[in-house]
Order: sequence, then structure tokens, then C-alpha cells
Amino acid sequence: MSSKRLLPLEVIDQAIGSKIWILLRGQKEVVGILRGFDDYVNLVLEDAIEYSMDAHGVSTATPLHTEILLNGNQITVLVPNETPEGSAAAAAVH
Amino acid sequence: MAESTETIAPSSVTVSEEPSKQHRTPSDFLKSVLGRPVQVKLNTGLEYRGVLACLDGYLNIALEQTEEYANGQLKAKYGDAFIRGNNVLYISTQTKKR
Repeated sequence: MSSKRLLPLEVIDQAIGSKIWILLRGQKEVVGILRGFDDYVNLVLEDAIEYSMDAHGVSTATPLHTEILLNGNQITVLVPNETPEGSAAAAAVH
Repeated sequence: MAESTETIAPSSVTVSEEPSKQHRTPSDFLKSVLGRPVQVKLNTGLEYRGVLACLDGYLNIALEQTEEYANGQLKAKYGDAFIRGNNVLYISTQTKKR
């Protein structure tokens, strides 16, 4: 059985052009269309929406217009082709 | 874009496997955003809106006509502001197309 090594940056590269869900440090999430990235996984996202959680557990969504450059320093998890509708809604209900 | 010590070996990644895909890299974004009104959000949640005078690979930012927002509320105005790049969460353009 031959298994091709799948590199993490290849996974990100395959996600370019489609929606991606980013988990950040500190109870924050961003969903947007991935336009590009670099070796440090700084991201260029288009039409991003920022989700954040208050100390009281209240989640707020802030749409950010046009393009953003997201600092790779704060990124923890990248999930291609998924949105946090489930988690944000679940968190709001909870 | 430079950071402390973490690097991923770039030679092992063939990023441009499909030439038809438009790769808008962060450095492209930085070149295109100079001189435009931007919104900068810090790790602390503070937001700054102003005209981007210049920035560098560390995401250090110099803004003009800066307004500082905390929790969406205008807190202060600065003629010139320098933001150290390690604090920056994101840089967003402000031209609202929609």
C-alpha cells in the first residue's frame, strides 16, 4: 500500500478559493474565503466574519468587509470547507 | 513576513501546483493596502482605524488620523500611531463594496 505524504501546507493550499474556518487563540473564530497564505500561515481572507465569545458566553459575529490579513501567530486550527454555524449556535444556546 | 524562530521548510512545499489558482499572498496584500484606510485589530481586542502610512514584514504599522475603538466605541484619536506588529491580530481594508 502506497500512501502519499500529505503536508499541512498542501492541505491549506488546496483550500484556496473556498471557505475556511479558522480557530484562534482566546475563544475567537474567523470564517472566510481563503485567498492566500505564506510560510508562517498568515492568511489572506475575503469577506471574513469574526466570531467571538464574551466572558458571559455571548457570541457575537462581526462581518469584515473585503480583504483581511490574519496574523498566523494567533491561529490554532484551520478547517477547510466548514463553518462554525453548529458550534456558534450551540454556544449561543448554551 | 518574519517571526521569532518558527519556520516551516518552504522547499518541501510545492504551492503552485495549479497555475490557474490566483495566490494572493500576504505580501501582495501588504503592498496593495499601503495608503488606504484600514482597520487594525489587536490581540487585546482594541481596534484602530486610520490611513496606513507604512508597515513592515513584522506587521509593525504606522497609521495616520487614527481612531481607537474599544468594544466598538470610539475612545481616542491620534494624529499618528505606531503599532508593534506582535500585537496585531488582523489588518482589514475598509472600502465596503457591499
